Amino acid sequence: MRAAKSIALGAACALMLTGCAAQGAQETAAQGAPGPNWASLAPTGELVPEYADEFSATQYEGGYTFLQIGEAQYVLCPRGEQTPTGLPQGAAVIETPIENAYLTATSAMDYFISLDSLNALAFSGTNADGWYLPEARQALQTGAIAYAGKYSAPDYEMLLQGGCGVSIQSTMILHSPDVKEQLERLGIPVLVERSSYESDPLARMEWIKVYGLLLDKLPQAEAIFAQKVAELQPVLQQPAAGGTAAFFYITSAGAVNVRRPNDYIARMIGMAGGEYLAPDDGAETARSTETIQMEQFYETAHDADYLIYNSTIDGEVRTVQELLQKSTVLADFAAVKAGRVYCTSKNFFQEPMSMADFLLDVHTMLTDPDFTAGKYLYKLS
Amino acid sequence: MKHPAVRWGVCFVLLFLAVLALLAAAVAAGSVGLTLPQVSRALLAPGQNPLAEGIVRTIRMPRALSALLLGGCLAVSGYLLQTYFSNPIAGPFVLGISSGAKLAVAMAMIFVLGRGRTLSSLGMIGAAFAGALAATGFILLLSLRIRRMSQLIVGGVMVGYICSAITDFAVTFAEDSNIVNLHNWSLGSFSGTSWGSVRVMALVTLLGLAACLALAKPMNAYRLGESAAQSLGVNVRLFRTALILVSSLLSACVTAFAGPISFVGIAVPQLMRALFGTGQPLVLLPACFLGGSAACLGCDLIARTLFAPTELSVSSVTAVFGAPIVLWMMLRRSAAEG
Repeated sequence: MRAAKSIALGAACALMLTGCAAQGAQETAAQGAPGPNWASLAPTGELVPEYADEFSATQYEGGYTFLQIGEAQYVLCPRGEQTPTGLPQGAAVIETPIENAYLTATSAMDYFISLDSLNALAFSGTNADGWYLPEARQALQTGAIAYAGKYSAPDYEMLLQGGCGVSIQSTMILHSPDVKEQLERLGIPVLVERSSYESDPLARMEWIKVYGLLLDKLPQAEAIFAQKVAELQPVLQQPAAGGTAAFFYITSAGAVNVRRPNDYIARMIGMAGGEYLAPDDGAETARSTETIQMEQFYETAHDADYLIYNSTIDGEVRTVQELLQKSTVLADFAAVKAGRVYCTSKNFFQEPMSMADFLLDVHTMLTDPDFTAGKYLYKLS
Repeated sequence: MKHPAVRWGVCFVLLFLAVLALLAAAVAAGSVGLTLPQVSRALLAPGQNPLAEGIVRTIRMPRALSALLLGGCLAVSGYLLQTYFSNPIAGPFVLGISSGAKLAVAMAMIFVLGRGRTLSSLGMIGAAFAGALAATGFILLLSLRIRRMSQLIVGGVMVGYICSAITDFAVTFAEDSNIVNLHNWSLGSFSGTSWGSVRVMALVTLLGLAACLALAKPMNAYRLGESAAQSLGVNVRLFRTALILVSSLLSACVTAFAGPISFVGIAVPQLMRALFGTGQPLVLLPACFLGGSAACLGCDLIARTLFAPTELSVSSVTAVFGAPIVLWMMLRRSAAEG
């Protein structure tokens, strides 16, 4: 038994020493010639968003860009250039244009498609079945983009073998800090994008400029954004069409999930000329949605002119009967009685560049009594 | 075998070899195919193949070592509680440890992350550890007032219920993202382990095992009953406190670093008892450690390779293998009593 104890203690010590040695090898500093001193670089331009609050960028000589997203800082370093020294504390360095990216933020795919840059992606955190964007689904099916595990459990070996250049994550990764840290330990910088935190729908579209910076396609990104905004001007300049609308879905527990008044969906309905109905308890919160009891939703929305069902969570509904199966109380709603119930298509939330089209659909819904189907809205039969 | 020491010796050698083999398999196998020479060079002759070295040294080795250490801790923790409570299905989380940890992690996610601040993995581990130890502290306080073992288990289950209820209450007002991530955390995983974490685990494991070996003699006396142990000079109250503390420390370490991992703590001690044919702590403590290490190494290997790149939850795999063992044990016990 004494021998057993000795063996156990010896094995444990050996393990610890192995760990120390292995980590010592890992901690050998990365070699490379020093780049320019960051403080000596002169700024050459500023990217000030017109609508977005969550990002800003400053361009520097040498093609470097300082990108701020929320509180996170990134230095975009042109491929082939030396990484500057004396960078701001905590700033992550990303080589641009990005290559072999691992994308887990599903809403960001649309930016890559809009910029014709799917080839910058090599890995996805969503498998083919989870994509409603046909280009993304096809890329996963043909293997042009490989499924590398979801954001909370990526296949690190696959990413390392594939030379992953950057991981583009949503803020969900902040709940799995060990994953973010492991990716960084493997030399894969992590960019946490915050486009879903923009409450202004035009701000969400404006995030195409961030991806323009990452892909070295800023002029194209700015042109696309300008075109989308121009398409909306006729609608935005019209007087309000009037009409009240509620946007919701029924949870599995029979409660109702609605968007809060500060949410971008609510604002889009307002921009389209309608009035978004939602219970407002006046509470200041960063949350964009809220789950309320049916009776509260009844009080708020039973007189609404239009009901829009959110298909994202539990699937599309095609008929009013299907909707009433989720809750028979809805039969009392004015919009149901008048046949003015619509549903979003499932791909809507994966297409932030579609904000303009959705807004146009809502405007048409409010102004054209014969409207039955648009790009992202369709009427229940 | 007539002489038990021979049987024990053979079993220890087999267990040790199994752990070594599974450790080697865990380092050699993964979603990226590396040849054995590549793996060997990555371990022994660094600088030749950065890709293989990154995979072997940064991803596979820390993960394999964490499965080895934490699996051992789980099994030992389960053994301690099963011996103390004389209950074969007492597990490391019966005293509400994992519920306390989950509550603390939920609070950290909701109140720190929910306010737009970030939390490092160390912060998350610290929160889980604090929650687990808080639950432990509560159980220790209970143990000072409750004399009967069965009541202490009930107390532990109640602590678990209270923590779960508070967690559910907090989650009601949480963002969907917090709910999803809390669920992910509670599935348990060895993924993403760093060498820094391995060092802490090794230290806690060493201290815990040393404490267990120091408690081996009183445990052996306690197997004869509380009165017999007292008559043999065991301070039962002190022994109970020390045992709960050591067991909770080991299971808190597992929960903090890998989340709640089911069945290893219940099933492995049963297997080792059957394998070694004895209940002696000095035999079963190292045996449970090796058995738990082997179980977690094997289950983690399956979890990360079977459907790669999709990773199964390690608790699902341990449950698939562990639950039949627990059932078999219950049927065997029932047959023996019948």
